[in-house]
Amino acid sequence: MDIKGSVAIITGAGNGIGEAVAKYFVRNGAKVVIVDMMQKNIDRVVKDIKDMGGEVIGVQANVSSEAETAKFIKAAIDAFGKINVVVASAGIIRDGMMLNLDKETGKVSRKMGLDKWQPVIDVNLTGTFLTIRDGAEAMVNGGWPGLLVAISSVNKVGQVGQLNYSSAKVADALLPKIVIGEFLMRGIRNIRCIGIAPGYTATPMLTGMNQDALMSILADVHLDRLVEPDEVARLIGHCVENEAINATTLEITGGLCYPNGIAK
Amino acid sequence: MKSFNYNDMEFSVEKAQDRWDISCKKADGKAALVAAGLFAGLAESEVEVRARALVHTMLPVGIKIVGPDVAHPNLIGDLKLVGPDVTHPNFIYWDKDSSSFSR
Ligand SMILES: NC(=O)c1ccc[n+]([C@@H]2O[C@H](COP(=O)([O-])OP(=O)(O)OC[C@H]3O[C@@H](n4cnc5c(N)ncnc54)[C@H](O)[C@@H]3O)[C@@H](O)[C@H]2O)c1
Repeated sequence: MDIKGSVAIITGAGNGIGEAVAKYFVRNGAKVVIVDMMQKNIDRVVKDIKDMGGEVIGVQANVSSEAETAKFIKAAIDAFGKINVVVASAGIIRDGMMLNLDKETGKVSRKMGLDKWQPVIDVNLTGTFLTIRDGAEAMVNGGWPGLLVAISSVNKVGQVGQLNYSSAKVADALLPKIVIGEFLMRGIRNIRCIGIAPGYTATPMLTGMNQDALMSILADVHLDRLVEPDEVARLIGHCVENEAINATTLEITGGLCYPNGIAK
Repeated sequence: MKSFNYNDMEFSVEKAQDRWDISCKKADGKAALVAAGLFAGLAESEVEVRARALVHTMLPVGIKIVGPDVAHPNLIGDLKLVGPDVTHPNFIYWDKDSSSFSR
């Protein structure tokens, strides 16, 4: 499938990886739908894309709401008449241990509450499901060939302090296999589905963090730097054009290793 | 340039070469771009119809959210009152599902 002339919906495109994906697509001739919760960021990205000479609409939506996913899917069709690529990049983190113990008594002093668990599952898993489901529905009904992209994370392997996030991301990584199995059973042959699992990527989510913590992360990266959002965007662009990549989740980590040297 | 009001916001549809941009005046008076580079080659009359339809889709009004406001239950002393879960499959709409409901 060519990027040029295609229509791409990117959620979480007001920032970070989603923004880089949207701009990469515009540079390569696609029309894009910017979906995000933050209107201020949508305004900025839509203006940047206009300045690049691109075709764009910006829709404020919460991906974890069915009414809102339906809204941006319809807006894409109203504006551009079709949908070919859907990238579900909206994501959040709310890190914390499942249990915290009191140092003196050894008893549980705090536990991960639903306030940390539920939003992460809602945005990172339910939001990805709704975006992929409704994108696929529109592609099937419209007869448009397409690529569905879930954004997982290398932390799908199980990161301490991220029971909520890793649980959602391992599910996101599995999703392409099930979706494509179902498409095969249903005779849907012109829509592919993949996952992308970035390692530590230089987005505001990370660059704003404690610099000591960042340095200790970098010590485990073979590449000796963070992955750039544009490198993730280029991988997704390659996946659009290379039709053999399907029903799988690809990692892009720069060679992230466990501290003992085994690659994650 | 064409402009129209919708849901207390002022939208303008402006030609940029052979395409159209839609912008919106916000409550703080600042303009923000809603869309750019759309509707190439369409007649002006059609552009306005399409722009209105797009804005209505992107900024819907009147979505009624039914169901209990679990986040803000009514508190009467220690008692929390949460409305019925109308999305539950066993929830009965008395005006639709019950034969005893007086019509
Ligand atoms: N940055 C990393 O190191 C990294 C690594 C692995 C995976 N990821 C994943 O990549 C994706 C993008 O991450 P990022 O680093 O670009 O993050 P980011 O915080 O820079 O951008 C995420 C965007 O999603 C938006 N968003 C959040 N909740 C939303 C909702 N409910 N509806 C719509 N939009 C919403 C935010 O407003 C924000 O603009 C996420 O799924 C993240 O989990 C990031």
